[in-house]
Amino acid sequence: MQEEGLDVQTTRSADHYGALIHHLSLVRNKRCLMAYVYNRAETIRSLIWKVGPVLPQEIQEKLSHTEEDYFKKHAGTLQSYMSRLDLDVTVDMVPPKDPYIQVRVLDDIGVVLSDDKTTNFARHSMHFLKRTDAEQFISRGLMEELTG
Amino acid sequence: MAKYYDIDDIITDEEIVAVIFQKSASGVGIDPSSETDCVEVGSKVELPFWLAHELQQRQAVSLNIPTSFNQNTRLEIQADSACVDLRSRCPFFYEFGCKIAPLVGARNIGPLLLSAFKSRYKEVLTKAHTAAFTAASKNLTILTKEETNLYEAAQSSMAAFKKWRMGGPRFQKASILGRKRKSTE
Repeated sequence: MQEEGLDVQTTRSADHYGALIHHLSLVRNKRCLMAYVYNRAETIRSLIWKVGPVLPQEIQEKLSHTEEDYFKKHAGTLQSYMSRLDLDVTVDMVPPKDPYIQVRVLDDIGVVLSDDKTTNFARHSMHFLKRTDAEQFISRGLMEELTG
Repeated sequence: MAKYYDIDDIITDEEIVAVIFQKSASGVGIDPSSETDCVEVGSKVELPFWLAHELQQRQAVSLNIPTSFNQNTRLEIQADSACVDLRSRCPFFYEFGCKIAPLVGARNIGPLLLSAFKSRYKEVLTKAHTAAFTAASKNLTILTKEETNLYEAAQSSMAAFKKWRMGGPRFQKASILGRKRKSTE
């Protein structure tokens, strides 16, 4: 019995450590991949707060199908939360000084219906908008804020 | 386990350590100097830290002090730590030192890290607060990753402070522009 125990130990050291090294490499690869996916998911979550529930095209083509699905579900969850609170939490990330803001239009947006008036956002035109309306255009890069 | 997903931690674990094998391992092509895929007892191999750490817990290898912490570096740090190029030796000098210290059993790594960090930290802060944007590029290339993070944090806080002093509207404009830039990238 003692000799068998000794035999097991010596046979253990020959191939056991080789297999152990392979196993550790696999675990390491798994960790790297998991960390990659986790950090990507974190970036996607932060996109909703920065850009809004609609993704611009150049970001959308870089996401895989599962990631797009994740984004849509997360945006939907946020929407339902906001509708229960009856408050839009994604605007005004910076505390505003003024409810109205002056903007200049950079890209062609066309005619947009906002509240009770339709405004034609032609390129290089300046408007005096409510902050909440302008914010979604500014975050997508279609308008810029004018100060002073 | 809080560092499982942390990318900096994963890259820190990739640092190379010289080890001596106490048991033989077959079927692995780690040792580049041997012809077969067997690693003999007593052979010296360079392994990444994650592998060396696990094998040492199972008593298959014994770790040596890595080259980034040897006598040369120690003398340079004692001479003038602000000018030592730590990034070329080991971009995660402090993190790696903290991990290595309990394993190798050298008592002087801890105080060495502390003294190096204390003197370099003062340099980092003064440069970050007073230098213009591109002036201190020579100093930047020799900082480790953690020091670079500190440097950038100090610079951004300095820039934010200046904007706050100039007036309120600039603060709002900057944050919205930041969002705009990210969405067009």
